[in-house]
Amino acid sequence: MSRLRKEQLVGLLMVSPALILLAVFFLYPLVNSFYMSFHKWPLFGKPKWVGLDNYIFMFQDERFWESLKFTFVYTLTVTPMLFVVAIGTALLCNAKAWGTTFFRSIYFLPVVMSFATASYVWLWLYSEMYGVIVYALEFFGFGGENKNLNVWKTGTSSMWAVNAMVTWKFSGIQMIILIAGLQAIRDDYYEASKLMGASRWQTIWNVTLPLLRPSIALALILSIAGSIQAYEQFVIMTRGGPSNSTKTLVMHTVDMGFDYFKLGPAASLGVIIMIILFVLTVIQLRLFRKNY
Amino acid sequence: MRRYSSDWYWYYAINYTLVIIIIFPIYWTLISSFKKPSELITSEPTFYPHDLTLQYYDQIWNFDRLKRLQDTESEDSESSGVEIESKFRLDGEGVKRPFMNSAIVSAGTIILTIIVCTLGGYALTVLNTPLKNFFFLLVILPILIPGISLIIPLYKLLKDLGLTNTHLGLILIHTCGMLPLGIFMMRNAFNSIPSSLREVAMLEGSSELKIITSVMLPLAIPGLLTVMVFAMYVSWNDYIYAFIFINSPENTMLNISLMKIALGGSQFEMKWGSLTAGSIVSFLPIIIFYTFLQQYFVRGVTGSAVKE
Repeated sequence: MSRLRKEQLVGLLMVSPALILLAVFFLYPLVNSFYMSFHKWPLFGKPKWVGLDNYIFMFQDERFWESLKFTFVYTLTVTPMLFVVAIGTALLCNAKAWGTTFFRSIYFLPVVMSFATASYVWLWLYSEMYGVIVYALEFFGFGGENKNLNVWKTGTSSMWAVNAMVTWKFSGIQMIILIAGLQAIRDDYYEASKLMGASRWQTIWNVTLPLLRPSIALALILSIAGSIQAYEQFVIMTRGGPSNSTKTLVMHTVDMGFDYFKLGPAASLGVIIMIILFVLTVIQLRLFRKNY
Repeated sequence: MRRYSSDWYWYYAINYTLVIIIIFPIYWTLISSFKKPSELITSEPTFYPHDLTLQYYDQIWNFDRLKRLQDTESEDSESSGVEIESKFRLDGEGVKRPFMNSAIVSAGTIILTIIVCTLGGYALTVLNTPLKNFFFLLVILPILIPGISLIIPLYKLLKDLGLTNTHLGLILIHTCGMLPLGIFMMRNAFNSIPSSLREVAMLEGSSELKIITSVMLPLAIPGLLTVMVFAMYVSWNDYIYAFIFINSPENTMLNISLMKIALGGSQFEMKWGSLTAGSIVSFLPIIIFYTFLQQYFVRGVTGSAVKE
């Protein structure tokens, strides 16, 4: 056996664990999710071809539209919050000053905590009776005379409470992306703008932000794609309540599959989520390829 | 033109305010977990603990022992804070076992990811593997479709394979999720190593595996650490897979077991002491990793997001 032949064989052998894993735990479920979405899955017995019935069932289900709407509202509200904090901290960390490394590592710190743990932590901060945030809010006069503030009372207040947690937890990732973008901007631009007598805000607005556009787009897409996958923060903090007003698309899918045991419609929901995320990721990769 | 004074004053004022805001939830959880019940369960919060106690850590860690104590305890004990908590202990869960489960799954994911991605990255970079570029594209493909949209068919697959309720099932799924970033990172790492090193080793008659472990890997350590830290991050912080694929109490993962603690009391009387202690326990391993391997952490976590 020639040396090349042997090397080729060794190469195939070495890459095979990855390929097997991929085939079994990615490609097969991928194909199967389409297959499942076109079949009826009784608890016992064989699956039956039902065509588009699962999709029709799903689209006629009010809970689907409610969860879709909520997921979009959540995405549209949390994205600007994340972005404002991320760009602010990124600009602060990009200054030529002492201590930026320290600040950056602190701003990134909540990212390393899991969404689940962060949710438990903030659940405690928001506790109706003993929570320190509720205490602070009541101290400043929210919650009225009786001091009975409960952030989980309405769907809207629940969502903003979760948004605050997500902003705390997740803006660090976007900050890092924006810092990378900021560092790629050459000093010439700043010097030119200084020579022209621009103030600091003018420089940020007219020089930094336009040059940063690719990183900004990337950060926004990332936040949108992440928000559409929102799950544990709502499962843990609101449990979808009050009265299902904070149920996300993924939560609805999990409920459909594992509470109601409707695997067909659940699979078709998975396909819908897949298509949304696929489109977003393609845009994201395009942006990335074009600009880096 | 040097601008000192008020500008920098504001710069640091803003930064330190942000630092305090970011740190506060973690600080608050930490001190809450050490407070005595009388100080914890009060509507007048104290910003540093007056009396330290380890009782919540003791409770969640040694749940089984405490549960036995409860069985022999008489009913007429005074209802001080301690007794209130111990009543709740009956329907809660300890975290020792879930902690071990999470540790096993994380360790398994890290080891398997490193092996699979090192071999794969090596084969797709250094060796003359046939269909190299096609395989690489295939391995990168999962980037386009996040695993969360595949939970239903994944559940079915694990069930058919008999892997629900097992550590192995979770390890395999996490490792598969790690493939794109892992192989990408390892490929980059191997690419930057000059090929002459391998040729020298080959002339000395080393086998391919020997070359990987003794020549290539020592030079690829930054890439390896990034992959390792990210594998830890993904598996330790996972919630949805652990929630759906594991049903048996003895195999519960840490993040899920905290939910049981949170719900263990009544809806109105959560077990806050145990929950804060549990949160700290679940944050501890990952913060240790972050402290020592910060740069790899940042690269891994953002790299996964950006998916170069």
